[in-house]
Amino acid sequence: MAKSSANISLQQARQLVEWLEEGEQAKADQWLDDFREERDDKLFTSVGQLTRDLHEALQDFQLDPRIMQLTQDDLPDAQNRLQYVIEKTEDAANRTMDAVEACLPMTDEMHQRVEQVMPTWQRLMNNDIQLHEFKEMCHQVDALMRECGQNMPQIHGLMTEVLMAQDYQDITGQIIRRVIQLVEDVEKNLIELLKLFGEEQKSQAKQNVKAVDKSAAEGPVINPEQRDDVVVNQDDVDDLLSSLGF
Amino acid sequence: MKILVVDDFSTMRRIIKNLLRDLGFTNIQEADDGNTALPMLQQGDFDFVVTDWNMPGMQGIDLLKEIRKDDDLAHLPVLMVTAEAKREQIIQAAQAGVNGYIVKPFTAVTLKEKLDKIFERIS
Repeated sequence: MAKSSANISLQQARQLVEWLEEGEQAKADQWLDDFREERDDKLFTSVGQLTRDLHEALQDFQLDPRIMQLTQDDLPDAQNRLQYVIEKTEDAANRTMDAVEACLPMTDEMHQRVEQVMPTWQRLMNNDIQLHEFKEMCHQVDALMRECGQNMPQIHGLMTEVLMAQDYQDITGQIIRRVIQLVEDVEKNLIELLKLFGEEQKSQAKQNVKAVDKSAAEGPVINPEQRDDVVVNQDDVDDLLSSLGF
Repeated sequence: MKILVVDDFSTMRRIIKNLLRDLGFTNIQEADDGNTALPMLQQGDFDFVVTDWNMPGMQGIDLLKEIRKDDDLAHLPVLMVTAEAKREQIIQAAQAGVNGYIVKPFTAVTLKEKLDKIFERIS
């Protein structure tokens, strides 16, 4: 008798009764044993398959090398990189300001000396100068030229320093580009995670979105043209303030 | 005139200090947030405050409110120099009694204009 289905059929039951009525106890027992064995086999196979699937899913989830790498190495690494960007830009700003602050007194001093010479110079240009004034002016011009001769190469050097301080842009640009790539990777993996957990999380997530404080500090706005709650420039600020009676 | 410049970034404090020096203000001190600034204001005889908004610790808007609450400081002119650009924020600062509001990035000319305007009003 064929045992194709997991459930016993009416035909099979009748056959069993027939065997028992005919005194074929051993035959009936054997058939029942076989039947049970086959059923158990199917069940075990199914449970086995399920277990394997679950195991593999968990294994895939935990051991997705990208996720492990992202959390263990890449994110802390990105923090260090961004910290480095802050340091580099701060360093560049300070190098630039050091140079500018060293330049300014020199240019101020030269300007002052020119102002000193100017009135006498004007008289010379108008052919209206006394000899003693002319002599005095020659000394002033001499001092001015010496000072310019000294200061100009220094200022040139400091300007070169300002130029070189801008090299941070290249380095920080590369670092930031890598961090952007990382953020994209994290985003993709998060989307995969969300897909795994399915739809039911969506409604919860919506409820958890915090109410945004309209006047909370948010730092520099990078897309003011695309927003209507921010000012675009100082003129906007001034207009807004004057509309408030400022 | 004694001025206090409050910003959490030392480079920005340095820029503002340089610009103020160019405009003839040489007596300038620095603080890196409201918590550091407030005791300095209470102890020192400052005539003017330039402050950022977004700082760790006490923010600029809260520093402004504290200044206006304090009888000894309430008269102090406060100029806000900040990257915060939301209309709501500017309105909030105005209501809290700010004397001027400059959005970053700003120019030396803007700073001079706003300072002139504030001093013109005061005198």
